[in-house]
Amino acid sequence: MAKKILKRSDLTKLVASVGKAGGAFVAPKAVANGLVEYVFIKKADEIEFDYIVPGKSFKEANFPQTEVVARFKNDPEGVTVEGVELNPPRVVIFGARPCDAKSSESLNSVFTWDFIDEFYTKREDAMVTITVACTTGDNACFCTSVGIKPDDTDGSDLLLRETEGGDFTVEAVTDKGKAFIKEEKAVFTEGKATPKERTIFEPRKLDVDLEKIGEYLKDTDHYEGDLWADMARKCIGCGSCTYACPTCHCFDITDEGGFSETERRKNWDSCQFDFFTLHASGHNPRDRQYKRWRNRFMCKFNIYPGKFKTKGCVGCGRCVRVCPVRLDITEVMEEISGA
Amino acid sequence: MEKQLQDKARELLESGKADVIIGYGWNRDKSHTTPVFIKKAEDVGKLVFNKLCVNNLSVYLTRKYPDVYAMGKRAIVAKGCDIKNIVVMMSEGQLKRDEVHIIGVTCDGVIFDQDAWAKAEDGSADMGAELKDAVTATKCHNCDVRNPHLTDTLIGDKSNFTPPDEPVGFVFDKIKDIEKMDSRDKWQFWMGHFSRCIKCYACRQVCSLCYCERCISDKNMPQWIETSAHLRGNLAWNLIRAQHLTGRCTFCGECERACPANIPLNVINQKMSLVMGEAFDYKSGYDPKEHPPMIVFNPDEDKDDFIK
Repeated sequence: MAKKILKRSDLTKLVASVGKAGGAFVAPKAVANGLVEYVFIKKADEIEFDYIVPGKSFKEANFPQTEVVARFKNDPEGVTVEGVELNPPRVVIFGARPCDAKSSESLNSVFTWDFIDEFYTKREDAMVTITVACTTGDNACFCTSVGIKPDDTDGSDLLLRETEGGDFTVEAVTDKGKAFIKEEKAVFTEGKATPKERTIFEPRKLDVDLEKIGEYLKDTDHYEGDLWADMARKCIGCGSCTYACPTCHCFDITDEGGFSETERRKNWDSCQFDFFTLHASGHNPRDRQYKRWRNRFMCKFNIYPGKFKTKGCVGCGRCVRVCPVRLDITEVMEEISGA
Repeated sequence: MEKQLQDKARELLESGKADVIIGYGWNRDKSHTTPVFIKKAEDVGKLVFNKLCVNNLSVYLTRKYPDVYAMGKRAIVAKGCDIKNIVVMMSEGQLKRDEVHIIGVTCDGVIFDQDAWAKAEDGSADMGAELKDAVTATKCHNCDVRNPHLTDTLIGDKSNFTPPDEPVGFVFDKIKDIEKMDSRDKWQFWMGHFSRCIKCYACRQVCSLCYCERCISDKNMPQWIETSAHLRGNLAWNLIRAQHLTGRCTFCGECERACPANIPLNVINQKMSLVMGEAFDYKSGYDPKEHPPMIVFNPDEDKDDFIK
């Protein structure tokens, strides 16, 4: 059977067509001095193709960094509370990476766990994820060490593979993906001869054993061990790693506004901030930075896998790249695997 | 130079003059340097010093790191620019001179863009003289402390570098560009950059002069500034930080290097430093006995007369 092809030159049509139907198009774009981010774009010529992974993951599309979840009004008649009913438009994510696509499953597990968070699920339902398999990478990439392949289909609706000519072969993964191809059949053409695909980038395999890491972390003796202070003392306690991370999902609820009108907002929060666990009494159970760093590591490889089947870490390497002090999570993974 | 550094570190640890050496070591791939805390004399071989030692380690001397403080007497490997921060901390009563042993290292400039440097080193990118300038921090092109100015031990060969009379480099070029803009364009320039801020506070955390135990952005009773990462909140945060560093910032450049959103923070902070230089004839980071202008009340020396 001949493969579906998406020509790079047809992206203009695709962006226009999605926009015409009332949808939005998210794609990697060069935004500042070499920084590429997933952003809403209007035209296909904004799309950047030369990137490993964008600075942040596309979790922002269905888990915005800040969003209003309720409004209060205070007038002489009393206080009125108004909820926010979301009716999100279709959002097409183009140029996702397999690690990011996989992370959608991870976020979904959390936001549909003991409570269905409609602010997340409604957006996710309206989202079509078009992933491009990796033909480039760097030393921070480690997806294969956490059980993901650089051309994995999980979490994607469509998986594209770049061809030597710069076009893409298309693999429909989900029903949503198949329906999308049907809707946009003008751009998803059938190629008579299958073009040659580019070689998939194979990240180096780290010497890590996830099961062993999980066992190590479950052993409470290791919780107060010297390893954490020794390896994570240099952590400066910024939130870069958690905000760049595709699977970090913590948020805070805050009220903002004045006397007569107030918004209740759901904002990203980071376990790396000392404020995160500070109790009203003044006591802070994670009173040192290395304990906060330990928490993030525990979350990825023990707490999260203990609750969900999906992945706590997808190996995108963002936390390694953004860290101002180069505190490399894979070095700690290797250290524990070799312990 | 590294040998000299390691020998000195060993001597300090063995003699008990220091309990911990805060210095630079390699990461696993030797692609980046990373802060290390050396407690035992047998570990001094981990200490390195080279062009990749860009971090300003003085942040570990602040009260944000009680566990480093608890390790005992601290010695720190510091470039001249890092020592400027230590000087400001001393002038602001954050650190006493005898609380830290400063191992000053002479320096030929450090690499700001380490990824670009790595590509040049392994031959995958052509590193012409021009690009070399681009990956070296602007502060290094104008450095007047390549021979560190306040040390207990000095390591390395004397540098003969003389900084240019007029500051050069990307940051100063950008400041000149912005000065030519009208106020609407200035506003758009900064709002464009601040719109990317994600409120990760890496700029604050990496800065040794942001040593407050409770930052104003974390105070919520009452909440002074909006903490949401919308344009209003981002503007409030970035302006407040710039104001709090006015007359104090030493242009070490760590905030911009740490920023995952590539906001040109050096431009705003260095502009404020230039303003302070004009208004008060003051440069921070040289004399631990001199207080930063914004914490001094001294009407007698005011060169303007409009307030008298």
